[in-house]
Parts: sequence; C-alpha cells; structure tokens
Amino acid sequence: MTNRLTTLCMAIAMLLTGLCAAIAQDRDIPSILQEHAAIIAKGSRKTIEPAIVDLRDSGQVDAQMVLEAWQAKELWQRKADGQFFTTTKNEDNSYTLFDVITGSEVGTADKKELKQIKPNSGIRGMIGAALVQFQLMDADPAKRLDALTAIDRDPNPTHLPALRAAIDAEPDADIKETKIRLERLLTIAYGADEAERVAAIESFSDALSVDVRAKLNPILATTRVATATKSTANIAAQLTPGTDLSKEDAYALLVAADLAPAAPTQDEIRLALGDNIIDGRVGGQPIATLNTIEGREFAYEALADDGLVPPLVTADEMQWAIEDHLFYDVYDEPSKAVTDAAETTLQSINTRVGFNQALDLGLDGLSLASIYFLAAIGLAITFGVMGVINMAHGEFIMMGAYTGYVVQQFITDYTLSIIVALPLAFGVTFAAGVAMERLVIRHLYHRPLETLLATFGISVALQQIAKNIFGTQARPLTSPAWLDGAWVLNDVVSISYIRIAIFVLALIFLTLLLFILNKTRLGLEVRAVTQNPRMAASMGINPDKINMLTFGLGSGIAGIAGVAIGLFAKVTSELGSDYIVQSFMTVVVGGVGNIWGTLAGATMIGGLQKGIEFLNPSNTLAAQTYMIIFIIIFIQFRPRGIIALKGRAAGD
Amino acid sequence: MSTLLEVSGVSVSFDGFKAINNLSFQIGSAELRAVIGPNGAGKTTFMDIVTGKTRPDEGRVIWGEKSMNLLKMSEAKIAQAGVGRKFQRPTVFEDQSVFDNLLMALKKDRGPVEVLFYKRSGEDITRVEEMASQIGLQEQLHRTSGELSHGQKQWLEIGMLLAQEPRLLLVDEPAAGMTLAEREHTTDLLREAAKTRAVVVVEHDMEFVRRLNCKVTVLHEGSVLAEGSIDHVTKDPQVIEVYLGR
Amino acid sequence: MNRSFFAKNPSVLIFIGCLALFTLGVTLLSEAFGTGVISTSFVKTLGKTLCLCLIAIAMDLVWGYCGILSLGHFAFFGLGGYMIGMWLMYARTAQIVTTSMAEADIPPTAQEVTDAIGNQIFGVVGGSDFPLIWSFADSLTIQLAFVVLVPGALALVFGWLAFRSRVTGVYLSILTQAMTLALSLYLFQNDSGLRGNNGLSGLQNIPGAEDIPQSVISLYFFWASALALMLGYLLAAWVVSGKFGSVIRGIRDDEARVRFLGYSVEGYKLFVFTLTAVIAAIAGALYYPQAGIINPAEIAPIASIYLAVWVAIGGRGRIYGAVIGAAVVSLLSSWFTGGQVPSINLGFYTINWVDWWLVLLGFSFVLVTLFAPQGIGGLFDQLVRNRATPQRGGAPLGPDASALQEKEADK
Repeated sequence: MTNRLTTLCMAIAMLLTGLCAAIAQDRDIPSILQEHAAIIAKGSRKTIEPAIVDLRDSGQVDAQMVLEAWQAKELWQRKADGQFFTTTKNEDNSYTLFDVITGSEVGTADKKELKQIKPNSGIRGMIGAALVQFQLMDADPAKRLDALTAIDRDPNPTHLPALRAAIDAEPDADIKETKIRLERLLTIAYGADEAERVAAIESFSDALSVDVRAKLNPILATTRVATATKSTANIAAQLTPGTDLSKEDAYALLVAADLAPAAPTQDEIRLALGDNIIDGRVGGQPIATLNTIEGREFAYEALADDGLVPPLVTADEMQWAIEDHLFYDVYDEPSKAVTDAAETTLQSINTRVGFNQALDLGLDGLSLASIYFLAAIGLAITFGVMGVINMAHGEFIMMGAYTGYVVQQFITDYTLSIIVALPLAFGVTFAAGVAMERLVIRHLYHRPLETLLATFGISVALQQIAKNIFGTQARPLTSPAWLDGAWVLNDVVSISYIRIAIFVLALIFLTLLLFILNKTRLGLEVRAVTQNPRMAASMGINPDKINMLTFGLGSGIAGIAGVAIGLFAKVTSELGSDYIVQSFMTVVVGGVGNIWGTLAGATMIGGLQKGIEFLNPSNTLAAQTYMIIFIIIFIQFRPRGIIALKGRAAGD
Repeated sequence: MSTLLEVSGVSVSFDGFKAINNLSFQIGSAELRAVIGPNGAGKTTFMDIVTGKTRPDEGRVIWGEKSMNLLKMSEAKIAQAGVGRKFQRPTVFEDQSVFDNLLMALKKDRGPVEVLFYKRSGEDITRVEEMASQIGLQEQLHRTSGELSHGQKQWLEIGMLLAQEPRLLLVDEPAAGMTLAEREHTTDLLREAAKTRAVVVVEHDMEFVRRLNCKVTVLHEGSVLAEGSIDHVTKDPQVIEVYLGR
Repeated sequence: MNRSFFAKNPSVLIFIGCLALFTLGVTLLSEAFGTGVISTSFVKTLGKTLCLCLIAIAMDLVWGYCGILSLGHFAFFGLGGYMIGMWLMYARTAQIVTTSMAEADIPPTAQEVTDAIGNQIFGVVGGSDFPLIWSFADSLTIQLAFVVLVPGALALVFGWLAFRSRVTGVYLSILTQAMTLALSLYLFQNDSGLRGNNGLSGLQNIPGAEDIPQSVISLYFFWASALALMLGYLLAAWVVSGKFGSVIRGIRDDEARVRFLGYSVEGYKLFVFTLTAVIAAIAGALYYPQAGIINPAEIAPIASIYLAVWVAIGGRGRIYGAVIGAAVVSLLSSWFTGGQVPSINLGFYTINWVDWWLVLLGFSFVLVTLFAPQGIGGLFDQLVRNRATPQRGGAPLGPDASALQEKEADK
C-alpha cells in the first residue's frame, strides 16, 4: 500500500516538475534534435554541449529515453532529412525505423540511407552527466544512489537545482539524507549567494568526513601574486619577502606579472658566454677568468653593453624591485564571508579529526602492543624464571607461523584450520622449547651470556633450515573470511578485525598466565624458583622440572604468537627476527619476571612506535631508530624496567 | 680519640620491610669493634650502606676529619677514601696469582690511565712480599689464587684489605669455616690491624668475639640494642632475650 | 719479577713471526710480486680476513677480558668504513667530474663542480645537495681522523650512558644490540646522508692511484692490514699483560669486588669499550676499501653476533684465540658459501653446502659452547703448556654473569 502510494507521489512530483519545466521552456524533443542535428551528427566533444544541455533542460520526460538511446549508440540519422530514429536490423540488411519518442514503427530504410550516431567516450560521459538528473528520480533506489554517487564524484552547477528538486519527493529516508547532505555540499561550491553558501559551510562544522574536507579545501586555495598597488582581492595573507617567501621566488613573481625584467639565470649566463667566445675571450675577458660567478657576470655585462645579450639584473636592482611591490596570497574564492566561514569550519573539523586521529592512533598502538605482548611474554617468562635470554625465541614464532601454513595445506576450511593450528603450534614449539632446554640450556645454567650465544647458534640453524624447507619466498597464512574487513567507526577511526582478534588473544593469554601463575600449584612453584631457586629446591620443588615446563610454556606462547602474526604478515623464515628485537625491548623496558611489566613494556613500545610513526609518517625506519634511542635513554632512569623487583632479591 | 665514622639516624627499607631503622653508630680512628646480632638484624645492610652499595632512605653518614658525606660518593670513591671491606664469602680473583691479587689492592692511583701505564717498581714488589709474609702466603705468591685453601683465601682477602691501607676495615664473618689454629691467626691479624686503624668485625660466633676482647655493638631489627664490653652486653636482659637466650 | 714484556708473553713473538711469514708467503705467491698462484681477489679476501682478525682482537678485549658481551662492535667497524668511504667516494667522483667538466667551453665555477659531484653521488637517492656530514669529505686527513673520532665518540657516549646506569650482563648485550640496530636502520634511510641502502661503492678505486693495478693495490692493503693486525695484537697484549689487565679481568669475574678495592669499574669499562671501538673502526677503515662497497646491511646486529661467535670458537680470554677463531670461521664460511665444497648425496636428499653451511655453523657453535668453552685456542694451550689450574668442581671463577669458567681458565 505504502509502496503504491509513494510511487504515485513520485509520479505526481515528476509530472509537476516536468510541467514546470515545460512551461518554462516550451520545446519538444524532435525540434531540439533537429535544431542540433548537425552537431549531433558531427559528434565532436567540443561542440556537442548545446545539444545535450537543451535536451536535458527540455523538461520533457522523454528526454531521458533519447539521451539513453544516444549514449547507447542506438540513435540513427536518416541522411535524406536529418531525422533521428531508433532501428532494428532486418534479414535483408535493411533497417526498420522507429520514432525515438513513441517507439512506433515509421518505415524502413537501406543501410546506405542511414548513419549511426556513435558518440565517443567523452560525449558519452557528458550524456551520462546530463542523465543524472533524471536518474535522481528513478523509481529504482539503486539507480538513485548511483546517480548520487556520480554527482558526488564529478559535480557541476547544473546538478544543484536538479538535486534540490529531487529531495522532497524522496521516499527512502536514507537516500533522502544522502541527497540533503549532497545538496549542502553542492551548495558550498555552487550556491547562488554568499549567505546560502556560508550557511551550507557552517552546517558542516561538526562533520568529520573526507568529502567535506575535500569540498572546503578548494575554497581556501590561494594564489600567490605580486602587485604594484594595494590589492583589493580576497586576501589570505600579505607576504614579506625574505621571511614568508624567498627573495628569488618574490622576484620570479614580479617577472611573471611583467612587473620586472627577467634576470638571466646562471645557466643562461653560462650558455650566453659560451655562444660569444671570440678568440678565447668573452667580452674581452680571457676564458680562464670565467670560473667564478663574479668573473662571469663581469664578462656578461660587457656583452650586455654591446647589446649582444639581455642586460644583467643586479642584486640591488632585484632588491629595489621587490621593495617596490607588494606580495599576497589571494584566495581564488572572491567572497570573504565564504572563505572566513570555510576557515572556521575547517578548523573545527580539523580539531575533531585530530581528536579522532588520536583515538585511531591509540587503537593502532593498542593493537601493536598486543602483538608485542604476545611475542614477548614467552621471552619474559623464561628470562624471569631462568635468567636466560632465548635468542631463538623469534624462530619459535616463525615455527608457529609455518605450522599454521602447513595446517592450511591439509585443512582448506580456514576457520577450522586456525582452530587446529593454534593448539598445534603451541604443541610444536612447546616440544621444541623443552628439547632445547634439556639438550642445551640445562648445561649452561648461571652462564647467561653463553646461553645467549648458544641459543643464537640454534636460531641461525633453525632459520636456515626453514629457508631450506620452505624456500625464501613468503608463504600465505590466510585468515578466515569473517576476520576480513575492518570495524569502521567513522571516516577516521577504523581497525581491522584481525587486529581485534589478536587483541582478544592477547587478553586471553594475559588472563590465562595470571591464572596459572597466581592460582595454580605450577604457578606457585614457578614463582618460588624465580625468587630463590636454591630455597625452592630445598623445599622439594624440582627446579629442573619447573625450568623445563616454564621454557616449554614460554616457547609454546611464541608459537601461538607466530600464528597470530602470520595472519597479517607474510610468513617467511625471517618473520621471527623481525620481532625479536622489539620483544627484547619490551622485556627490558617492562622489567623482568613480571607479566604486568611485560604488559606495560609492550604498551609503551607499541604506543611509542605508532606515535613516532604518526609524527613522521613517511619514515618507519627513522621511527624505529628514534624508539630505540628513546629506550636507551629510558634505561638510564629505570635500569631495571618499569616494574622492577626491589631490594636484595633483585641481586646486583 | 677522634671519631672516624659517624652514622646517624639511618633508615632503609626494601619493599616495605625496614632493614635498618633509625640506626646510629660511631667509631674512632683506632678502635676494634665487634657487631653482633641475629639473622636479619641488618648487619650486612649496615655495611652495604657504609660502603655505598645501598643508598639509605634517610640519615647521614659522615666520614673523617673533613666530615665528608659518604652518601654522595660512589663505592670506588668511598674505598679510595679509606674504607675497606671483606665479604662473608672469600672473594679473591681466582683466575689470577696471589701476587697479582695483592698488587691490585696496593694503595696506588686507581685511574685507568695511571693503571695502564703503571710499571711495577722494586718498592712495590717488596711491599707485596711483606704483605704476603704477614698473611703467611709468601710461599704461595705465584700460585693461582683459585688453588688456595679456604682459609688461605680468607687471609689473602684480609691481606688485600691491608694492602689497600684503609682507615676503616669492615670485616664480615672472618672466622667462618676456619680451623681453630686459623682462627687464632685471624684474631691476631685483626688485633694488630686495629692498632693503627678502625676495625669493625661482624660475627656470629660469641667465642670469637670474646677472644677479640673489644667493645661490642648488638643490632636487632635494624637498630642498636646495646653497646659496651662483651660482659656488659651478655648481661643485658634484652640482648639475652632476642639473641643469647634462644 | 721484572722480566721484559716479550719474555712474559712469548705468544706475542710467535704470533708476529707467523704473521710475518704469512705476509711474506702471500706476497711471493701474489700476482703483483710473485708467481701469481694466489689471485688478486683471494689476496683481497686474505687482507679482509686480517681486518676481521683485528676486530676479533677488539671483541676479545671487551668480552674475553672485560666481560662485556658487546653485540655492537660491527657498528663501529662499519662506521670506520663509512668515514674512509666518504673520502674515497668524494675524491674519486670529484676527479671524474672535474675531468668531464674541463671539456666544456666555459670553465666551471667551484659551486658547479660541487653540485655536479653531489648529483653524481646522491642522484641514486634522489638528491644532489651535500648533507652536513659530508662537509669535510674532501679532506683525507680529517676523514682519517673521523675514522677514529666518530666511532670513538659514539662508543664514549653510549658506554657512558650504559655503564653509569649499571646495566650489565644480558641487559647490556641487548642494549648494544639495540644501538646497532638503531644505527643500521638509520643508515638504511635515503635521507640519512649516506646513500641509504645503496651504501658507498667503488671504494676499491683509490683516488690518485689510477695507474697502479689492482693486483698491487690489493697487496698494499694486505700489508697495511697485516701491520695493523700486528700493532693491534701488540697493543692488546700490552694492555692485558699488566696491572690494567688484572683489573679488567677482575671486573669480568667479580665487578663488585673491584669496586670495593677502589677502582671505578665504570671508568675502566668505558675505557676498554671506547678503545676497542676505535680498534674496530680502524679495522673497518682497512676492510672496506678492499671489499669495495659498504652498505647498512653490514652493520646489522647479526654481524656483531657472528663476531662473538668467532671469538667464542677461537677461545675467549686469549688474544691469539680471537685471531684463530676469526680467521678459521670467516675463511671456512667463504669457502662453504662460495660453493666450492662438494655436495653430499644422501640418496634421498643432496646436501648442498651453500644452503646448509649456516645450519652446520649454528649447531657446531652450540657444540663448542657446550663442550669446549675454551675454544680452539684452549686446545692449543693444552698442547703447549701444562700448568696447574684452579680446581673448583666446574663452578665459575666469579659471581658475575661473564666471569670465567673453570674450563676456560685452563691456560
């Protein structure tokens, strides 16, 4: 019922607008076509515009049909009288002609008597733009949206009245809102008077989106000009040569405005001198003296005195010329009220954008922090409990990622493969960790530096083995479809689902580890060994077993981190080494043997890295450099990390 | 007899636990003093504070005639000012010979450049040999010190302390793990040393303290419980309760 | 007690003798002055190996004797190379540019020459202006001074920051690694002023020596490297033989004890760290003209870790051990990765040593750490001498993380 009603309303509205237009321009389509028959047939983009404009503004509903036919290369012209028809091809190669408007058959003709109108792509584009206003009122909502998108992409002044006319009759609330918004945007650029435009600009003061900024920025575009007298244009700023703009630029402006003679550049001087060598001399000067600027200018002046070259402009002359003129940045937009409004609005938008960017940055930092946390927590546990730095930790991360990749070779369902890969990666790296502890690290207790080097040897070997097995090219670890895409809050703030998933994973492990360490027997024993291994041993705790389990646990988490990292980064044999230094930094900054310390360290390093990248977005390398320098300085103030064990337990 | 070291109102806490609580202590320039107290009384922490290893939360540590503030000095500077310390466990450089150990301790310029261009003079060698005979290690002079017996290492460490020519000697449980004869020798060494300098001995063993025959300071829970002769403190009822009476 | 330096350190004379014989042998077999059995490129390889031996000595001083496991000495090595490379590249480009510009009608101004050189050098990173750090690139004297001063200053500042905050052991190692990473990442940028990841190239062409063939130049550098290695060895042996050596070994085994003896441990560490950084830088300045190219990848932390591996395999705490380790491992490494080692066919799989060399190195390094902590040098010692050693049931000789282990003290 409602549907029918709205359709009816639409029809009436269209009829009304059509009627109005008809009253305004009492011309029918055939006569328009006839009037422009020659240029339509010629099909040149340069001359075609009146034909399209007249059709568009004819106010006839049928104009849409004609334009569409034209655009679709379905329009044929009879050579004899220049009439336009649509056609169908008959079996005897003759064509049946139809009236362009009514569609009734009006006769047949031979191919030789007809000419097909084939508009080129430029003309088709122009026709498309003209069609927009018809499409705005199309019965199909999808077509109306398409039309809006087309306008948004390439607006022109004629869209504004069409859009305004199409707002009231819009039945769909969402589309109506889009239309109103687009109308405001178009009003900014093409509004009839100053007040209307200022109002439109100000209506966007709490907006965020890119398109608003894109509309406002051109209003504030400026041109740099030099004038002899005070300018009356809409001035953005008056410039002082030497501070706001360089003297060379200022002079170039003067030359461009024909307010001063062009000064020959050093290159031009050199060429001119080269052209005027006579018997090894230029302007009477020996060539050998031309190896300084002064020498060249001296010789050039001699040439200029002889009228061979344009005169030299001396530095003093330039200075005088500059001092005699005024330099401005002038808005291209003549209305001061509009530029002022745009300035204010843009400022308020920028403030909000800045705020949202900070939020976005915070989210990015948090996501990076959770990655670092996952990568570093295993390291922190083994370092805290055993005082051992495992240089092969990065390779355990890599092993986890490759486990995920191998699982996907067998299980093609991505969701299922991830569910299988996570525990499997834990298992693989847990086993590797336990093996390494038993075979190597156990024999090097209390020799942390040797352990560091021995595990480095393992790291080198593992990395090369991975390279030999999987090759040097990156292997994909594909995330399930439901993790694709991003959670978009607005034009500025968004975060991909994978990163959210990793954040959740980090949270789960934080909780799990806190639970294991604080509430279980194993945790109690681990803490006992961390604080005083000898005492723990004498109380019946087997430190060897605890060390082995801890090392396995730390390595197992590295495997899980590997799967997580593999989901958004390519899996290569160097995957681990890309994260290992950051993990070390996290542990060092956070403090040893404390989960909260690692969390604090990861948050700080993740946040810091994103922050520095934001300040210097072109250069992630420099960002890392600055971060490391910051950490070295940070260590000065907290040599034992953010959360440090205190007192004699910390040892010296 | 002038005061060499004055510790006043010093407190330090680790994670809320008060290891030293408003401790005050004085010692003259040529005095032998024994410090006793049960485990956790703060004996070692007290030494840590004087030698600069631990910074107290509050209080003052004043040193010598010029009243230097030890709290503002690094461990090395404090050692150079004349505070020598012997640890509970014998700590000598086991990789190096007895001679090198003693030579390193000899009172000389400690700066890297001076040490780099140091040439051992006959005088220094004589000093080292004298010191070795004083601690009974003249025969072992060129052996690696890691090969020495436990007692010999203790003496070597005392010898290194004496070679430093400190004005104050802090000795942590010198007699631990020694035979009776070795103890006698150690007591003699300490008493001899105390004639020219201040010596503070931290000890558990009452017999050993009695043999030292000197003024005794009893520490308990980070502050001084009693002070006086060994007979005086052993009669103090509080001391008996917390320490002797167990 | 007062025997001469050489009498106390017989290994120094033996080493100098071996080095002299080796140098003579290579000279006689070289293309330039002898039979040509050894190709010019292999003379360069040997010369580079001598430089690596020199930096290994520095590493042994700082780690084997002073107990600081620095994972950053290749940064100083690389910096030394960059400093000399700047002059080599500038001077040679200047020559080429001046020659080509001399053919123009109008003689070039000084500014035009500079611009052209800048364009030539920095065109590859899209620039043409000389960064500030190239201000003195035209002066060999100043750049030579920089070889020592720049890495020395970096070591001094970094060491001062690290040691004064009492960062020791594994922490310190990671911190030095971070410093190295920061430096290499910085140099990887195009706007670092040192041509980003292109690095400096063409360093084998010595300006002003175009007429001398590479075969002769390579031998000159070989001699220079041998001389530097000899001086470095003498310096290191002298430093560790006296009281200074006693003190730094004391610091390695028991830092706190040395402090209570009145030595400012931080000062000594800083001294050794800076001194070895300077030695490393000199080694680098000799290495890269022989290598011909330097880029930031050379500075990456992994290089410095390999350095530690060489010293460990050679036997830390003995200077000749470091030399042996560096020479053996780096020569073996270039032999294996050069593809000259025959593959092993296992039937189901062929072991291609180019791919598997790193695996072999990694695992043999673990084995050395586990079963022969005294390294190759230790085996030497057992053959030559049989001195009484401390017997402490395998416990370390000091409480510190880097203290000597009983097995290692076996000398």
